[in-house]
Amino acid sequence: MGFQQFVSIGGWEILVTLVNTLITFLIVKFLLFKPVRKILAARAEEVQNMYDQAEADLNEAAKMKKDYAESIANAKHEANEITQSATRRATVRSEEILAEANRQVQDMKKKAEQSIEQERKKAMNEIKDEIAGLSVMIASKVVEKDINEDDHKRMIEDFIDKVG
Amino acid sequence: MVEVNGPKIYTYLFGNPSLPITETMVNYWIVMVFILLLCLFLTSKMEKIPKAKQAIAEKIVTMIDGLVDQNMGKNCRQYSPFIATLMFSSVFGSLSSMFTLRSVTGDLNTTLGWALIVFGLIIYNKIKTNGFVGFLKGFAEPIWVMAPLNILSEFATPISMSFRHFGNIAGGLVISTLMLSALSALSSAVGLPIPLFQIGIPGVTSLYFDLFAACIQAFIFSMLTMAYVGSARE
Repeated sequence: MGFQQFVSIGGWEILVTLVNTLITFLIVKFLLFKPVRKILAARAEEVQNMYDQAEADLNEAAKMKKDYAESIANAKHEANEITQSATRRATVRSEEILAEANRQVQDMKKKAEQSIEQERKKAMNEIKDEIAGLSVMIASKVVEKDINEDDHKRMIEDFIDKVG
Repeated sequence: MVEVNGPKIYTYLFGNPSLPITETMVNYWIVMVFILLLCLFLTSKMEKIPKAKQAIAEKIVTMIDGLVDQNMGKNCRQYSPFIATLMFSSVFGSLSSMFTLRSVTGDLNTTLGWALIVFGLIIYNKIKTNGFVGFLKGFAEPIWVMAPLNILSEFATPISMSFRHFGNIAGGLVISTLMLSALSALSSAVGLPIPLFQIGIPGVTSLYFDLFAACIQAFIFSMLTMAYVGSARE
């Protein structure tokens, strides 16, 4: 078994080196870099997906928040409107009630006045009748003479009317 | 009598004396099998949530991709497997001396073969980037008088790369061999029946000549490859 020179250059030896290097290159490329890069890419994609998902969720949440804020504002507004309209209605209604009450009071007052007037008239008439009767009685007593009561009554009423 | 030899010749292919099967080739094949097993081991049963060995594989890939990005510029990731090949072959080829195998990189044919590939890549990328005319014009920069020097420096690149790597590893080999025989001589001079001085001291020096030199030379070779090919693409 011989030795080569310590420093030697040979075409065959270099060719073998080139082939060996090529094979090593293929091994490193397809058995190390390819699978590792594949898994790195897969992981990167997964992380990207997670970020995308998170961002989508965030956007959705923001949108929902905005919606809620809007609907709350709407609800407040509506509540305000309801209260206002209720207040308005109540005011109108109370005014109506007051007016009605007033009207009724006026009516009652008028009726009462009318009835008082009637009563007064009635009483006046009664008093008149009585006075007339009394006058006739007194006159008949005085003259002792039976005169027609109806004629007298008429005469006396005329008198009273003239008097007032 | 100390003898520092080149790689052993195990046999001749087809009995042809110009086709020797040398120690370097056999050791390279052993290193290749080791790299193959390492790749298979590191990438077996990969999951999305990495375990220890997968993390190592990912670290290697991302580290080399990072080096390539940093030294060659963007869009050069297709060179990452080649850089990794150089690094692995160089480191494990040099470190094979730790397992009593002759260093694969202690043979000029190995490092020169790699340097020729790098040379080819440099020329290919220069022509691809500048066009063939632009590539030829590049030799007349900054003035035409410089053309011989430019051509010389173009060829000097693979030669200097290969001899640097070979010289460091082979030098370590020579020094280790010399030191072993010196320690053996010292042992017999002191009168020890066995060369006891050979224990320990070579281990310490081997930290530098084998481990450190192997790693630093692999790194230098890869970095130079990235720098040259990267600048050829500009």
